[in-house]
Amino acid sequence: MRLRDIFQITEVSAHCDLPCGVYDPAQARIEAESVKMIIQKANDSDDPDFRARAIVIKEERSELVKHHLWVLWTDYFKPPHFEKYPQLHVLVNEATKLAGASGTKGSFDVAKADELLEKIAEIDKIFWETKQG
Amino acid sequence: MIRPGLARVVGASMEPTLHEGDLLLVLWGAGAHVGSLAIVQLPRDEHGAPRPVSVKRVTGVDPADPRRWWVARDNPSVGVDSWLVGSLPPEAVLARVLLRIPCRRAPFT
Repeated sequence: MRLRDIFQITEVSAHCDLPCGVYDPAQARIEAESVKMIIQKANDSDDPDFRARAIVIKEERSELVKHHLWVLWTDYFKPPHFEKYPQLHVLVNEATKLAGASGTKGSFDVAKADELLEKIAEIDKIFWETKQG
Repeated sequence: MIRPGLARVVGASMEPTLHEGDLLLVLWGAGAHVGSLAIVQLPRDEHGAPRPVSVKRVTGVDPADPRRWWVARDNPSVGVDSWLVGSLPPEAVLARVLLRIPCRRAPFT
């Protein structure tokens, strides 16, 4: 036994956050569907007031999509998941970008909303695979 | 082999007994002792990710299996213990805590 071993300090945890443990990509999907519908309705409307409201709500909902995806990314997915699905980081990055200023938040492009929904569907597929154990 | 060592506490689940930054004198390899604190390896979480090595109180044996230890946190409002993850096998008890050295410091983060 070496002296160094005795004086080496091990960190011992007396904590843990209290996560509710309930996760589901459906939260992000529902907000994204809402974004898509708002875009369609705004594009069909000539009413400037309606369009102004649509912009506000669309930005708010897009932000919620990002939030829900980030929660999955930081709180649900764990290192073994990223090891098994190496594309997961890029997937979350691309999906949150599609919900951002260069995506649904900043445009009235239905195609962006569709792309966003596709990315969420890919994340959802991985999510449910990880649930299989 | 049983050998002495030092451990630094992170977190609040053992308050009011232990506080964050407390330094502990421990005996690595010493078995659990009911009523004493122990350094334990908690089981992996539901996603398969390892939990950190933790300090808990050994409150007794598992009522359903006398070979396994029941560990608890002193602070019921935070943390994880046997009430959440079940009892621990003897090999999950890594060290016995002998005493707290009055040398508190903010843990390295």
